[in-house]
Amino acid sequence: MKFVTPSAEELSYLRADPVLIEQELDCRPETAEAMERAVGFRAGRTYWRSTHDHLYALELADLGRGRPSQARVFGHWDRFEPRPSEHEIRLDLVDFCLWVAEVAPNMDPDMVDRLARTGPNGVGLSRPQGAVLRTPDDRFANLPGFPYEPRYLEIEGLRMAYVEHGAGDPILMLHGEPTWGYLYRRMIPPLAEIGRAVVPDLIGFGRSDKPTRDNEYSYKSHVRWMRAFIKALDLKRITLVCQDWGGPIGLRVLAHMPERFSRAVIMNTGIPDGSGFSKAFMAWRRLSQKASELDVAQLVRGACHRKLTDDEAAAYGAPFPSREYQACALLFPRLVPIRLDHPGAYDNRVAIETLKTLDLPVLPVFAEGDAITRQAEGAVRAIFKNTAPTVSVQNAGHFLQEDAGEEIARHIRAWMEETKA
Amino acid sequence: MLRSKPDWLKPMFPWEQKALEVNGRTMAYIDEGDPQGRPVLLLSGNPTWGFLYRDFIPILTETGYRTIAPDWVGAGYSDHPREDSALTLAHHIADLVSLLDQLRLRDFVIVGQDWGGPQGIGAALQRVERLAAAVLMNTWLFTDYIGQFHASPWPWTTWHAPLVGQYFQKLVKVLSHRGPSSTSKRGLNEAESRAYHHVFDEPESDAAVLTWPRTIPLKEGDRGWADMAAIQRRLPELAEVPILLLWAPEDIVFPIEYAHRLKELLPHAEGPIEFSNAAHFLQDDRGPDIAKAIVDFLKNKVEVQS
Repeated sequence: MKFVTPSAEELSYLRADPVLIEQELDCRPETAEAMERAVGFRAGRTYWRSTHDHLYALELADLGRGRPSQARVFGHWDRFEPRPSEHEIRLDLVDFCLWVAEVAPNMDPDMVDRLARTGPNGVGLSRPQGAVLRTPDDRFANLPGFPYEPRYLEIEGLRMAYVEHGAGDPILMLHGEPTWGYLYRRMIPPLAEIGRAVVPDLIGFGRSDKPTRDNEYSYKSHVRWMRAFIKALDLKRITLVCQDWGGPIGLRVLAHMPERFSRAVIMNTGIPDGSGFSKAFMAWRRLSQKASELDVAQLVRGACHRKLTDDEAAAYGAPFPSREYQACALLFPRLVPIRLDHPGAYDNRVAIETLKTLDLPVLPVFAEGDAITRQAEGAVRAIFKNTAPTVSVQNAGHFLQEDAGEEIARHIRAWMEETKA
Repeated sequence: MLRSKPDWLKPMFPWEQKALEVNGRTMAYIDEGDPQGRPVLLLSGNPTWGFLYRDFIPILTETGYRTIAPDWVGAGYSDHPREDSALTLAHHIADLVSLLDQLRLRDFVIVGQDWGGPQGIGAALQRVERLAAAVLMNTWLFTDYIGQFHASPWPWTTWHAPLVGQYFQKLVKVLSHRGPSSTSKRGLNEAESRAYHHVFDEPESDAAVLTWPRTIPLKEGDRGWADMAAIQRRLPELAEVPILLLWAPEDIVFPIEYAHRLKELLPHAEGPIEFSNAAHFLQDDRGPDIAKAIVDFLKNKVEVQS
């Protein structure tokens, strides 16, 4: 476990939850002393970031016994927001217990691990029954223009689906709200001629698993899942292609692991720092939060400039047999950080500082007909140093891959040729 | 720590106690009326619980509203954690946000008095797209006006003080045992008085009663100041939301000046409509009258819009 010092600003956006573990340590002085050696103090506070990207604090107090005699573990969650799923917190606390077992004498981390994960007294580290839904395969039969065989990875116990086509350096295409990989079907064949098109479905969308509880989803968790996806496939020299939520997620991941990326195509999206949004987005956000179910097929069809066939529109509705499957689709507009103190906004401001230092070539692509994200163009151009002239797509709306996929793929191919290392 | 209600309480408060887990703790609530009706959340403050709204529940449910009265963590039939730091404004807000999320409430109405104001509006601001209306009674949402009661050494800042506050609140139980009964204009009978304080009868169960007054932010840097300031800063987001102010001017804790300051910050709010013969716990003193005023407001200002 690596201890960190969070900034005062970050802490001001968080809320400390004091009761995760509270323990008098006196019964095992050697454990208390080992912890003191490991953290370097007898009484005080230190922080660490868990595998789920949550910030935790360990507080030791000396109640007059010349060694740490009381320990408390705090979780730090987004201020005013409910804490993340119990499942994540339990796993993080097992990691903490493993750390204690490693530093303390006469303890066996393997035993702790076994205790945690197995047996009738295990703390139950899997998600509760019924907490995850999987769209039946037959909903995806005979998709027009999308013949690719789905592939699957397991990420944190969730099945994440993707398709791939072609060979060479990966071209990672990220969809957003409320679509799935199908959105890229017009761009996959032309781009697969010059690289390996990798098109995942975000958790909660497409053929990927869909947790049903709101607090399983956060901006943070999507970033984590995408990082894990890229690591699992060991993608390198990636050309990122992103739209809508693909941008906030993909660009954050880019800032976390820039060494894996060689280019980025940013289409109708950006990385919001919490400082303001278009009227059109705010209207959509309000509308979506009043809905108890989204008619996704109709929504995509209505936003497209091209006329979708019934089968094409139905393909967008396919992942959602009922509202139970739509937890993330219903939440996504609200998870966009629209204020400086909104979950994710601080992390994005940190990420933007990293992105500003990168030399990687960036191609902005914006649709003339998209009122929701048009204003993100200026922000994108201000962040990246090495930005090509913006491709302005006529006769296209928010889902520009659907309206002008082939045309955009041509632009991307030409630009990739120019920016060959 | 969800306990079943004692038999003596049931004639006064017959509704089924429900509970869900928020932020790892149990939050109790009652959820009555048409499940498809517009949700109305009845939020109490220190040191009360859903019982304070017992006169509201039948009136609201009969007019078609889904009436939800949660008990704050630390109060009523919810968990009563001992940790002071689990009972701050930010925690209470996150708890209510979790309830709003888990019950998937849409187009809801917040009704708040005392801490029910900042905690309810704080949570509603996190889900502002789903807020249909708000009713505020003898409460505050700002850092820039402090009335006589909170600013003066007796009793308030004395209760705030370390150790002294502990003594008065925990040993003498000034607020938890005497709060509602000593301020009642109507006069509580023994069973009613007991209904308020019996939830704090278990040892070490009354941390919230002390934390609440001590987290009233009086000056910058106080615990809760930043959170209350954040709520005040975000009040313009409620410009499109119908708001009603109902007030008991005889309340010494939140006199009418607090209503005037709220009106300045929320100029589109209706009221304040004043209720005489009522003090701080006006829901108890004038329950049916206030409930009817809320129904009238909702019928005239909210239902016509949607």
